[in-house]
Amino acid sequence: MKTSVVIGYAGLILTLATVPARAHHSAAGIDQTKQVTVVGTVKEFKWANPHSWIDLDVTDDKGETKVWSIEMTAPAYLARAGWKSTTIKPGDKVTVKVRPFRNGDPGGLFVDITLPDGRVLGQAPAAPRTPSQ
Amino acid sequence: MKTPGRVIAFACMLAFVLGAAPAMLAQEPVRPPQPGSSEPPAPLGALAKANLAKPRPKPPFDLTGTWFIDQRNSQNTWRFNPTGPFKLTPAAQVHYDAAKQARAEGKVYRDDIGQCWPAGLPIIMTRVWPIAMIQQPTAIYMISGFMNSLRTIFLDGRPHSDPDIVVASFNGESIGTWEGETLVVDTKYFVNDHHWIDSGIPASDQLHIVERIKLVNNGNTLEIEYTMTDPKSWEGDWKVTKRWTRVEDTDIAEVSCLPDLNQHMPSTQSKDNVR
Repeated sequence: MKTSVVIGYAGLILTLATVPARAHHSAAGIDQTKQVTVVGTVKEFKWANPHSWIDLDVTDDKGETKVWSIEMTAPAYLARAGWKSTTIKPGDKVTVKVRPFRNGDPGGLFVDITLPDGRVLGQAPAAPRTPSQ
Repeated sequence: MKTPGRVIAFACMLAFVLGAAPAMLAQEPVRPPQPGSSEPPAPLGALAKANLAKPRPKPPFDLTGTWFIDQRNSQNTWRFNPTGPFKLTPAAQVHYDAAKQARAEGKVYRDDIGQCWPAGLPIIMTRVWPIAMIQQPTAIYMISGFMNSLRTIFLDGRPHSDPDIVVASFNGESIGTWEGETLVVDTKYFVNDHHWIDSGIPASDQLHIVERIKLVNNGNTLEIEYTMTDPKSWEGDWKVTKRWTRVEDTDIAEVSCLPDLNQHMPSTQSKDNVR
């Protein structure tokens, strides 16, 4: 399918500072100031610790298809945002927002997804909902 | 002739003197050698029944629970960035400068954790994952949700291990003692590579950490004052205080750095990772 890639400057969002910590690797290779929207077809969705991920087939305006590797957080935080392991499956047409890799590789850190039924799912903050006071 | 009652009383007293009394008085819990054996007494494991049953003063608090680094005032409380006067050794400064340059170029410097090396103390305590803590009279077991890293703090009176026998590790060997309302934990015997206090600040086998642990806020906040020395990496004491919040709606899960999953992550495989 034809896709669109939209790049916007979202500005620094403080919550993103948690990403390199709750991920198991550094996020220095991520451009935290940008947000990219890609439309594509789910190739694979992995529900796993410490990261889930989406591999998305994205076709540009020239008809070239590349796999975007979109790194997500742990399933526990995704579940808090309404995700299940069955939320998406190969073949689903979705729109995904990511913080892109600085080096231009196709992919980045997950921000949110628009599902085929129109629902939008993100990922919950790492901090627990009910800390004791 | 002695009466049967006096014989029994004497036997009980003898058994106490030969058995229970030394175990109660000795600082290091040990299993007595078998009769006739030339082997030295073996130390008791922290979960040995005889060790757990040994009379001890009631501890001032119980850390049992699930804890999460307190980020309510700042998202960056998990980091160990030195503040105030702080001087790295020349060898460590090389790493610090290289990491700084890598960041400026949008690259990642020596992200060993991303390559599945353990995070190690102290940053394993502050990674933004829950930590389950289980306190027994003889030890505290801490299991991080981050790679299920296990840390044990021994409370049973044992000394640090023989340096010629101990196996260096990323979390080191922790011995805790109670000082009033504070648990003082002394940790050493760390590995000498692939271990970082924070990005570009290496930890060495000379790292020594003293933690003063308190429970505050009616037992719902865990506070640790760190004093860290590592003459291979920095001069003098590095002091920092961190806080954790007790959380009631979270458990830790099985989390492993699996080769196939890790190789799938562009962030860990990128050519922009400076090794």
